[in-house]
Formats: sequence, structure tokens, C-alpha cells
Amino acid sequence: MPKLVLKFENSILKEEVVGSKEVSIGRSPDNIIMIDNPAVSHYHARVFTEEGRLMLEDFGSLNGTFVNGQRVKMVTLKPGDSIAIGKHTIIVMESREDTGFATAGQAMKPAAPKIEETMMLDTKERREFLQKVAAVGESAQLAPERLKVATLVVRKGRTDRSEYVLTDKLTVVGKSAMATVKLKGWFTPKVAAQIHRREDNSYYIGAADKLPSVNGQPVLHPTKLESGDIIRIADIEVEFIYRD
Amino acid sequence: MKIDVGARSDAGRVRENNEDSFRVASGVSLFVLSDGMGGQASGEVASRLAVDAIVSHCREARSNPSSPLVGASIAGVSETTNRLASAIRAANRVVRAAAQRNEGHHGMGATAVAAWFTGERMSLAHVGDSRAYMLRGGLLEQLTKDHSFVAEQVRRGMMTPEEASASRMQNVLLRALGIDSEVDVDVDEELLTDGDTLLLCSDGLTHELPDAQIAAVLRDTSDAQEAATRLIDLANEAGGRDNVTVIVVRHVSKPVGVFARIGRWFKGPNGSSPKGGR
Repeated sequence: MPKLVLKFENSILKEEVVGSKEVSIGRSPDNIIMIDNPAVSHYHARVFTEEGRLMLEDFGSLNGTFVNGQRVKMVTLKPGDSIAIGKHTIIVMESREDTGFATAGQAMKPAAPKIEETMMLDTKERREFLQKVAAVGESAQLAPERLKVATLVVRKGRTDRSEYVLTDKLTVVGKSAMATVKLKGWFTPKVAAQIHRREDNSYYIGAADKLPSVNGQPVLHPTKLESGDIIRIADIEVEFIYRD
Repeated sequence: MKIDVGARSDAGRVRENNEDSFRVASGVSLFVLSDGMGGQASGEVASRLAVDAIVSHCREARSNPSSPLVGASIAGVSETTNRLASAIRAANRVVRAAAQRNEGHHGMGATAVAAWFTGERMSLAHVGDSRAYMLRGGLLEQLTKDHSFVAEQVRRGMMTPEEASASRMQNVLLRALGIDSEVDVDVDEELLTDGDTLLLCSDGLTHELPDAQIAAVLRDTSDAQEAATRLIDLANEAGGRDNVTVIVVRHVSKPVGVFARIGRWFKGPNGSSPKGGR
């Protein structure tokens, strides 16, 4: 956080940290930095933070406020600036416990992780991170399924084909026109089950209008399919197989 | 098919601005949500540009199906899904162009999650850490994976979920709209069944409420708008530390289907899917 150091000639009279509250400067005793000198107006100027920047505003004082020799009305301050009011000088410094001068506002301090603003990793950091995770991911993704072709082989029941190669992200099983695995028969539901392909080429079966079962277990939530699993949907039985 | 939609957005209890935006385009059954980022209120601009661009790209495709796709076509998914991914890529360009044109908007970006219903199918596409969940048969499943620094490390086994939830890097994204000239869009498809409830939400919801509580609200509130309002209220009661936006879409085709019945069996204390996200 920035700090204001009030000096007269070579002696330091006061140090004041600028936090969320503004620092008022003037001859009147209710100012935070009080300068008891007739050349200073009762309410002379103030220093405050706005959007992470440290600002100085002169309240239209008679004798003026000077920053680095220039008379100012409203300016942004930076560390090392020298503010002259009458014969007094106020030096702008960074206080040691916080290096983030440019982001001096309280809100910018890292607090609980949840409160922080969403941000993006910068391009270089992102590239480095993605290279790092790619190296880790290689070994994890060397599962043999990765390069194999998932196939449904019909073992029992009436369907339009005897085998289905699963290439789509979503495979629908049922009587519906959009079904890949077309079922026939009077009591067959339009959409009996759905099979999803996930990123690592694994397949999950989920229910639709009917509860399918895998190896005799009803599918109550998306279930991962393994080679050799027997899926029962309505009156048909299909085997899920990974092929080379 | 009938759908019941509820949506609401709130700045929360801490932030002054609401940088989230959403659009419910009921006419085309398209639902879009975006969480903006960037200083000096540019996050608001980014998320609004993003949702508008996505909706207008999809609407245009409806009236002119041969209009060109932005980016390459993805194999193994429907035309609608490809169109939705294209819309998000178009939004990336819009946000990026605005960020480059206006100095005050430099560095702004946004997440996007969008769902498009066509008949019994739902196409889903997303970039960033805004999520889509599906409540089906009483179980809540996260359909999207966050494109965030910590989520990626959890997926790769480099970090435990506990470490992730304590991490200071939770807010750091690996993908967002408006940052690079091209963006990778994740897509998915679902076949809708009776009673399916889709939830799109910004991270302001998921940082405040555990999945089990979200599941309980979606299960116990039949009216979609009531569910949306309830979720926002609970997020605010839990702290409301971030903007929070939710869109709840319930798919109803029959009065009582097999899933409504299964749903009732599952109305236990633990509503979250044991498998978690994917």
C-alpha cells in the first residue's frame, strides 16, 4: 500500500498509509495530515485511491499544491513523487509489506480464492502448462481402447443390421427415424437407449424411454461399457466389443 | 415436446457489476449463458456481445441453412451441434475484435455455454467454466468439463479435488472467448427423455452451492422459473460472492413417464450423481 511521508526541511513529521479511506490534508485539525501553517488552506487537498490508482486532488487552495514542481488540480501519483504544500513536502512511498502499488485497492488483495475475478492464464503460461499436461496425459491415455473401434454386435432380436460401428458422439437405439440402431416390433419404444462416446474413446450407455440393462444390471445412470458387455434393450441383446 | 424455461441473473452480494449475460431464445429453443471478465466493466460488454453473437448466428442458420460455418466441422456430431460450435467461434471473433478496437476493453473475455433443442435432441457447446448439468431420473450429472487451470490438473491426476477446491488458481481459465484468434469448442449431444432438466449456470452458483443442493432444488421444484429463483436465492444466502446466473430448462413430453417414476425413487438425501462430472 502507498504511504505518504510529511517532511519539513529534513525532519519527518508524520507517516500515513493510504488505504481504502482517503487522506485529507489541511490546516484544520480534523484533517488526517494536519499542517499548521498560514500558507496552507483549512481543507487543502486529499489523496485517495481510485480503481487501483493513487490520486491527488487540490481543493482549489489559495497557494496551490505542487507535484514535482508543477502546480496541479488532480493527478495520479506514483512512488517517489514529491508533493509541495507551502513549505512542507509530502513524499509518496511504497510501504514495504506490499509491493503491489499499482493495485493498491483493498479489493485487489488476494483473499479467499472464490472472490477473485475470473482471469485467463497468459499465452506463454498457457502454452507451458498445456505442454506439461500433455506429457502427463500421454501415459494416462495410452489405454488400448484409444485406437480401437467400438462395435455393437446383435446377439438376439430383430434389428435392421447385425452389427453397428459406433462412430458418432451420440448413438440412439430405438424405433425412431433418428436411431442408428433401428429396432422393430410393435411395442418397441421410439428411443430405447442412448450411447455416448466420450473424449478418451470410452462409451457410456444411458437410459431413454426404457431402462436398458448391462450384464443384467439396470442402467440407472450413465454406465461405462467394457468390451464383452451384454446390453439388453427391450427385446434385443447386443454385445459391446472393441475391435482393432 | 414441451419445454418449461426459467432464467435469472443476479449481481450477488459483493460485486457491484453483473458481468454475466444470458439469452433465452424460445422461438428456436436456444439457451445461452456467458460470464464476462475484464476490468472497468468490460466483462459486461464481453458477455453481452458473446450471447448476442451466438443467438444471431444460430437464428441466421435457421433461415439460411447453407450459411457458412465458422471453423472446421466436427466429425460424429449433428449439423445442429456443428452450427452451435460455429456460433461460439463466431462469438469469439466478435469479442476479440471489440477488445482490440477499444483500448478500455483490452483483455476482456467471456465464457460461453449454449444448449440448442431440436426435437428430442439437445446439442451442447461450451468454452470456459460456465457449466451445463442434467438432472435425469433424479440424478444430477455435470455434462461439461471446466476449461480451468485446476480442473485440467484434477483430470490429469496432478491434483486432488480437495487441493483444487482450496487452490487460489480456481479462477484461472485455460480457454475463453476473445483471447485468441481461434478457440477450441467442446460439444456434446443428449437425447432428451421425459422430465429431463437442463441447468446452465455461471460459476457464481457452483462456487456457492454443492451439487447435492443444486440437485435437491431441481428435483423438488416443478416450476422452472421457481427453481431458477430458488437457486439464485440460495447462492446469495451462501455468500453471493460472485455474479450468479442460471437457466433451467425442463423437457416435458408426457404427464408421468418412466423417469418421473425413477426420479421419485431417488428422492433420497444424496441427489448428486455418484459418478460426478465428466
